[in-house]
Amino acid sequence: MIKQSISFLVAVTIATVLLITQTTVTNIAWLFSMEMPVDTSVMVSMFIGDLISMNFKGEVPVGVLIFVGMLISFLVTRIALIWVNIDKRYLYALAGGMAMFAIVGLMPLALYNLDLIAGARSLLGKVYLICSGMIAGYYFGARQTEEITDENR
Amino acid sequence: MKIVKFLSLLVWQLVLSSSAGAGVQYETDILAQGLDHPWSMAYISDTQMLVTELSGELKLITNGQIRSMPIKGVPEVLFAGQGGLSEVLLHPEFEENGFVYLSFSAPDTQEPALNSLNVVRARLKGDTLVEHKTIFQSDPPRKTAAHYGARLAFMADGSLLITSGDGFNYREKAQSLDNHFGKILRVNDDGSIPVDNPFVNTPGALPEIWSYGHRNIQGLVIQDDGTVFEHEHGPKGGDELNIIVPGNNYGWPAITYGIDYSGAIISPFTEKVGMEQPVKYWVPSIAPSSMALYQGDMFPSWKGNLFISAMVPGDLRRLELNGEKVVGEEILFSELGRIRNVITAPDGSLILATDGAEGKIIRVFAD
Repeated sequence: MIKQSISFLVAVTIATVLLITQTTVTNIAWLFSMEMPVDTSVMVSMFIGDLISMNFKGEVPVGVLIFVGMLISFLVTRIALIWVNIDKRYLYALAGGMAMFAIVGLMPLALYNLDLIAGARSLLGKVYLICSGMIAGYYFGARQTEEITDENR
Repeated sequence: MKIVKFLSLLVWQLVLSSSAGAGVQYETDILAQGLDHPWSMAYISDTQMLVTELSGELKLITNGQIRSMPIKGVPEVLFAGQGGLSEVLLHPEFEENGFVYLSFSAPDTQEPALNSLNVVRARLKGDTLVEHKTIFQSDPPRKTAAHYGARLAFMADGSLLITSGDGFNYREKAQSLDNHFGKILRVNDDGSIPVDNPFVNTPGALPEIWSYGHRNIQGLVIQDDGTVFEHEHGPKGGDELNIIVPGNNYGWPAITYGIDYSGAIISPFTEKVGMEQPVKYWVPSIAPSSMALYQGDMFPSWKGNLFISAMVPGDLRRLELNGEKVVGEEILFSELGRIRNVITAPDGSLILATDGAEGKIIRVFAD
């Protein structure tokens, strides 16, 4: 249970960091195109600033949002695994992707199409973020598979 | 039900008792109540005013009595999010020509999933708007229902300024001159383009653009000397009061004093050569919703002051100016909650509209 919880938190962290990285890169890329004085120190300070700010200064902490999304998604997956015989890694990857899809694809529909996560305003951005959720889910699924293998030994 | 209404009115009257601000004695009373998201007001005579409701109706209030039937002939609006029937503005020669200007959001005619900011001119005949003419439609249309701007103001030369917000999702477009996002536009009173607009001869630029790099401009006033003040909502922090010079770039989102609602840093920069600085900015945000330049006689010490209605946490800001500088700020009416609109009445009293589904019109007059 402890191992599972740690794996879950790591998965949430992976998705959160990937989302924040993409938001930072999106903003930096545009500022760069505007010939704003973006150098390495600006990039680093923006990324660190976003890591802190998006989790502590936003309307909703992005980490909490992903935590809740993945918690629901992974719990559903766990129940589904009772009946479905598919490799856990792929099913949890799908669950992670679905969690991110709910955040960047469905949530805006309830907010008059407003994309609160700037990096999710484009289709490419949405696809990237869904892939981020899939990577996090895949990691979680892989850890579950490893734990079962360890127990069988 | 009548007793409840009477008691609520009584409570409000007690709340809105005689008060003093910066030595100025004033009283307040409720002129009208029960309005559905009032957004803008315009006096058509000393005793009659038009009020827009965001939900789509234009109401006539005479001596504090709301006429039960709304004005007919108002275009159909998209009432969603921040969209709906927004500004009502009278033509400078309204008494002769009866022209009323309305701004509103409406579904796109080609693609109903999209919408745009529209400005219509119509003639008020009795209780009906007739002879409609669309004088502006924002381009390209948007999928979001937010950040329309939608304020209007006539300049001394008879041309009309229109504020067009960045549409929330399209903030970067505020820096491009090929679209209407995050712009102040200037058109003639019939929608044609003035030949002296700053980008008329700029290849690729829309000729109606007057200034750019704005976010969501909801306050717009013009002094007698022609100075144009606007205020705009910042993101999380960074609401701005600006003086507009035609052709200038006001920086959004390349420079800003705010951060994104997600907490993300939109830009770490607050200034850049070629981008204008605000006269004043607010961190945290006050959500400025409208602005009036006080030129009445009822409060002589307020003459020349800017009044800005604010929605977070909800109050009225009185700004004292010295030339182009803000030298004082007073917070008034913080007990009223979100204030959507402020105007000056013909007799010099201040008229406030509170936001919400049970909006009130409140009159501030000399003690």
